[in-house]
Amino acid sequence: MNPTIIVPVRVLEGEGIERGVVDLLADARVVLVGYHALPEQTAPGQARQQFEERAQDRLADLAEQFESVGASVEKRLVFTHDEDKSIDRIADEVDADGTLVLNPATEMEQVLVAVRGDVILDRIVDVTGGLLHDTDISITLLHVATTESEVDGEALLDQTAAVLQEQGVDADRIESRIETSGTPLDRIAEVADEHDAIVLGESNPSVTTFLFGQTSQKVADRFMRPVVRVRQPRASDGADADIADAARESSDGVGEER
Amino acid sequence: MDNTVDSVDGHSVDPPDGEVPPVDAVETTDEVTVEDDTELERTIGLVGGLAIGIGTMIGAGIFVFPGIAAGEAGPAAALSFAIGGVVALLVALPASELATAMPRSGGGYYFISRGLGSVYGAVVGISLWLGLVFASAFYLVGFGEYAGAAMAEIGITLPGGSSVVLGVVFGAILTVFSATGTENAAKLQNFIVGFLLLILSIFLTYGSLDAVGVFGSGTVPETFAPEGQFAILTTAALVFTSYLGFAQIATVAGEIKSPDRNLPLAMVGSVIVVTVFYVATIFVATSTLGSDALEGFGETAMVEVGREFFGTGGAVAILLAGLLATFSSANASILSSSRAIYALSKDALLPARASEINLRYGTPHIALALAGGPIVVLTATGQVELLAEVASFLHLVMYGLICIALIVLRRNPPDWYDPDYRMPGYPVLPVVGAVASFGLIVFMQQWSIIVGTIIMLLAVVWHRYYAREVRLKGVL
Repeated sequence: MNPTIIVPVRVLEGEGIERGVVDLLADARVVLVGYHALPEQTAPGQARQQFEERAQDRLADLAEQFESVGASVEKRLVFTHDEDKSIDRIADEVDADGTLVLNPATEMEQVLVAVRGDVILDRIVDVTGGLLHDTDISITLLHVATTESEVDGEALLDQTAAVLQEQGVDADRIESRIETSGTPLDRIAEVADEHDAIVLGESNPSVTTFLFGQTSQKVADRFMRPVVRVRQPRASDGADADIADAARESSDGVGEER
Repeated sequence: MDNTVDSVDGHSVDPPDGEVPPVDAVETTDEVTVEDDTELERTIGLVGGLAIGIGTMIGAGIFVFPGIAAGEAGPAAALSFAIGGVVALLVALPASELATAMPRSGGGYYFISRGLGSVYGAVVGISLWLGLVFASAFYLVGFGEYAGAAMAEIGITLPGGSSVVLGVVFGAILTVFSATGTENAAKLQNFIVGFLLLILSIFLTYGSLDAVGVFGSGTVPETFAPEGQFAILTTAALVFTSYLGFAQIATVAGEIKSPDRNLPLAMVGSVIVVTVFYVATIFVATSTLGSDALEGFGETAMVEVGREFFGTGGAVAILLAGLLATFSSANASILSSSRAIYALSKDALLPARASEINLRYGTPHIALALAGGPIVVLTATGQVELLAEVASFLHLVMYGLICIALIVLRRNPPDWYDPDYRMPGYPVLPVVGAVASFGLIVFMQQWSIIVGTIIMLLAVVWHRYYAREVRLKGVL
């Protein structure tokens, strides 16, 4: 299934989309969100009056780039005081699987996928498989093991790789890697240096993320290439952590045999 | 045309036949307005709406008027404020209905131009712009008084007349800041309003208990209406400037989330909240110091009430609150005024250039200058009562016409007129509202009426020579 990816663009600021990004999203349902953020002194309708034509033209140009490689593209243009809110709203409306942080990438050969042992992993894998199964982009699965990790890292990566293969990604394109020290943020940023893009999951909203921000946001801020932030499944979806559970079972099994 | 936004909220962008508005295909949901495939995000919630209303209003009624009003009407000034509150409520109800039928930026101007036509629209639009300019100048004079009093409190004595200079300087700074982008001023506004309500609640609770004799001996009430009943009405006309904020909520109606619910709640709610605070303030102030003493202290009389209760700390708290309150009123009015100019220029009643957006800052710099420039000039006059009354005059004409527009639209509703909130008491309440709004004008001072009338006549002349061809009635 083609994942739905939101691509927010500051539409009046000449932000371009490079080849690598287009290649990454060739198999996605792209929702191109052109936005223009305004200070509160300015009514959104007022900006629309002045800039709409230019913005629509530019959005159409950007959409063509994705269409040229066969992606399906929907265009949205929004004038807003609060771009985060607009992007979230549209993501909900189109039931997006992820949001792209649009950094430049001239080529797309290696993608880093941050693997964590919780509910969101299933969606991360679906998005990764959906985007990459039909390409020859290679994938690095990275798990940063922390002391709180409930699931054995190796088992988690094996299980993740297995599901990706089921989705049509060749085994020789997948590399697994475990880091056992440091914070996820530092390790991901470090390993990411050799990659052209990152796929990672949003954190569960909590007091910590409210106060200190999301790790995924911080990685995106630090990493100068595209980042796909996979969205948390909504509670109403009743999502199960299939991959994490399977990994837990298999590693428990290993333990008993000993 | 690419029609990818059809799915917003499950509705189609195209309205059913017979309801097609002649200008744009417009779809309004709780979160967004969609016009011709372009989405305009709604970002102001109920709290934000209440903060705009209360923040605009509370500066004047509590921190500028008590001394002046007590001087003119004695303790009965409380009644004057109550009358103002009732008139405001009578207008807030029809304004709420119209706003949910037309949740678009421009507020009263939009309702009247669509309900009654472009001549009335032009007069009201220009009155709204200049009414807010007068109101803003009035708040800035108040701000200057508080700034001067604050200087005096920390031992810096300024020469006479310098509080007007402070107001002028601050008005200029405020205009420049709004044209060059002040991020997050809206959040700041919410905090300021919350802080003000907290300080005032503590004050008024203590003061009320004190007045009825819980602490020490109760104060002996002076004659309730020493200046007679007529003074109560003239004072009501004067202090009505304290109620000019609720309609400002409608000037940002296009940006309010869930407008069906939030617009009526914010408008009616903010009027009720400030009325209670005003009446309580006058009661406490007159019980504490007496009308004559209050009159002597003028615009900053509340500082002395604070001093009476809590010593220097109380005076400083009220000074600080007064600075914040007059600042937030002036700021909100400048922004609303620029919205009014935008609405006028969108409808070609003013040149399109007037609402042009600055590419560097993203702000409507010309509209802000058209608001800020005259504000600074008017602040320099330092005429508190004249500024207040002209502001009220220009607003009251609009308020009366809002009531009439409601009656016209209810009697002969166009296809698009489908408000989600319907005011109770039709047709009696809107008729009473219109009569009360126009009636209050009669009790104003002669010069205020003359200046207000001249402005309206100039607006008519402007419409006749600049925008005669513009047709707006029923054009949604």
